[in-house]
Amino acid sequence: MPDFRFWHYDGVTAVRRSVLLRPAGDGFWLEEPESGWTGAHTRWSDLTVIGAEADRSVYGNSAIPGWRMGFSGEAPDGIAAHLPRGERYGRWIDRFGFWPAAGVFTVIAALVVWGALAAPGVIAPLIPRSWENRMGDAMVGDFGGRFCRTPAGDAALQALVAQVDPRHEARQVALANIPIVNAVTLPGGRIILFDGLLQQARSPDEVAGVLGHELGHVRHRDTMTGLVRQLGLSVVLGGLGGNTGAYLNGVLAMSYGRDAESAADGVAIDQMREARISPAATAAFFERIGGKEEGREAQAMTWLSSHPLSAERRRRFAAAVKPGSAYRPALDQAQWQALRGSCAADPKAAKFWGEGF
Amino acid sequence: MDQERIGGDGFAFEGNWRDYAPIAFTNLLLTIVTLGIYRFWATTRTRRYLWANTRFIDDRLEWTGTGKELFLGFLMVLVLIGIPLLFLQFGAQALILQGHAGLAGILTLAAFVTIFYMVGLARFRALRYRLSRTWWHGIRGGSDDQGFGYGISYMWKSFVGSIALGLLIPWSMMSLWNERWNRMSFGPHGFEAAGDHGPTFRRFLLFYLFPIVAAVGIAIVAVAAIPLGGMQPGGNAGRIGGMFVVIGLFIVGIYAGLGLIALAFYASFFREAVGGLSLTGLNFHFHARTRDWFLLFLGDIALVIATLGIGSIFLQYRHWKFFVTHMGATGEIYTDELTQSQTKTSRHGEGLLDALDVGAF
Repeated sequence: MPDFRFWHYDGVTAVRRSVLLRPAGDGFWLEEPESGWTGAHTRWSDLTVIGAEADRSVYGNSAIPGWRMGFSGEAPDGIAAHLPRGERYGRWIDRFGFWPAAGVFTVIAALVVWGALAAPGVIAPLIPRSWENRMGDAMVGDFGGRFCRTPAGDAALQALVAQVDPRHEARQVALANIPIVNAVTLPGGRIILFDGLLQQARSPDEVAGVLGHELGHVRHRDTMTGLVRQLGLSVVLGGLGGNTGAYLNGVLAMSYGRDAESAADGVAIDQMREARISPAATAAFFERIGGKEEGREAQAMTWLSSHPLSAERRRRFAAAVKPGSAYRPALDQAQWQALRGSCAADPKAAKFWGEGF
Repeated sequence: MDQERIGGDGFAFEGNWRDYAPIAFTNLLLTIVTLGIYRFWATTRTRRYLWANTRFIDDRLEWTGTGKELFLGFLMVLVLIGIPLLFLQFGAQALILQGHAGLAGILTLAAFVTIFYMVGLARFRALRYRLSRTWWHGIRGGSDDQGFGYGISYMWKSFVGSIALGLLIPWSMMSLWNERWNRMSFGPHGFEAAGDHGPTFRRFLLFYLFPIVAAVGIAIVAVAAIPLGGMQPGGNAGRIGGMFVVIGLFIVGIYAGLGLIALAFYASFFREAVGGLSLTGLNFHFHARTRDWFLLFLGDIALVIATLGIGSIFLQYRHWKFFVTHMGATGEIYTDELTQSQTKTSRHGEGLLDALDVGAF
């Protein structure tokens, strides 16, 4: 041990020295006999591990950056006991051991993924309605002046809403001059029917079914859940980049998941029963629009993408038809024509802002 | 005295993929089970191995960066850039819904310019961070420049490079390389970067020549194919089938051709850039030719495909090894004059802004 040579850099210059280690008190001195050089006193407790590759060990000094002491092979007796142990995977993992740590992380990761999927549904109902309303108003405003308003059309829409939403759960139901077969629920309890939907629909009962479905999203606060999920995802994924078109599409085509859609259908059926409107037309609407999946009417795809269509959903509406019930049409013929003609008749309604998003 | 003469080419890589494999595989596993958070510590472990097995003249390099500082850097990027962009995203959404598409466009443009600036800043800071955590003979590198000015240079030089049909791209790349390295130092010595874009320009012109050659080639093939097709017994069907094959080959050829030109240009660019770099008495060189780069990427692709993707954990190793084995230095360095760096990286806390490592973007 007395003639065991370390190599050494003092952290001040790059000169390499071949030194002997002389223990003293709680530390040691390094000396280079050939040149008569002696370093400052170093405490054992200041030593840090810089690297331990193969048979090569390097130690640093937490008090002096760049100070290095190294050797090849085994540390000599009397010194090995004083040397600190290095990190391998990182301090936390070293403490538990590799496999236990990996196991614990796996469990935590599973919990986090499960929580991330379930959390939006838990958090959204906790957000006060007034916040959601204010946020929705800030986001939507007057929808760029695209709302269609004519006295007769408004009256017809109000008549429809009064039947499907008698308790005024939706804060606003409006018609927008957008030629897409769709209807959306926006934050703040706003339902917007697109003109394309009205032109595609064959009867007011179909529109009542869609309106009832959107009302289900309002009642269950699915939009807020979707927003919280979108927010969470963009934080987790560091959602940088993208373009505004994609953002808008994200809101319009926000998918709430199978369960939420099914629950919304349930609301639609309940509301229609209460209003004595037949669900048969809605079932027919599903069938018609589903059959066009590969047809030339590509617009139908919009509704399909945000409202996954299945034969099951169609059957559910069809099964809700009670034979012998005294159903009545959701709107009379004059009201229906006024509603459908509303966008064409309103000169102030802004045009759709381009072809497609 | 204390003078290191450089024999050979100065740099050597003494690692071995079998020693690295346990690091690579445990990194992969831990990164998966921590949903990616371990990647900062994984990067650190990998670099520590690669640096420790890289010899310069008579001693190995050391990497002293930590996973924690990379992680903090990532968190800072998330807070300083991610959250404002999130608000911007919702703002733009609301503006479009309300019909202010123009304003939304301006907002988006502002976000784009900011990100553009940040990319330049991050490049500078990544280099500074890496030098400040790289030690040799107990001495480290660094820079006193924060890189804010470089971010501006990056924006306008990239912009100027892209106008005029992109003819100024070699100039903009080399000029940015020089600007970056001229602000860096190792120990008391500043790097001097005097890379010249001129010699790389001939290869860059191939990008412009290639479409012309390709067009002439198609014309010749088309002229030659017309009589041939007519004579085929299959008649029309045979001719159309042949046409599809030719078009397919043509598309593959275009991609391969452009890829090779890019590789040839980059090989030349990197040789010139490193060749123009010096540190007091040391002059650096890079020896890899287009063929070497080509084999590197061919090897990468083969490795990743043959292992169904798992081999990608060795790419960092392969690239570092390629870099070190083709790196060279001539001249001399006086170790007694190579004193400790006084750059102020550690003054504003290890990591944080320093750790705007490119990987964090």
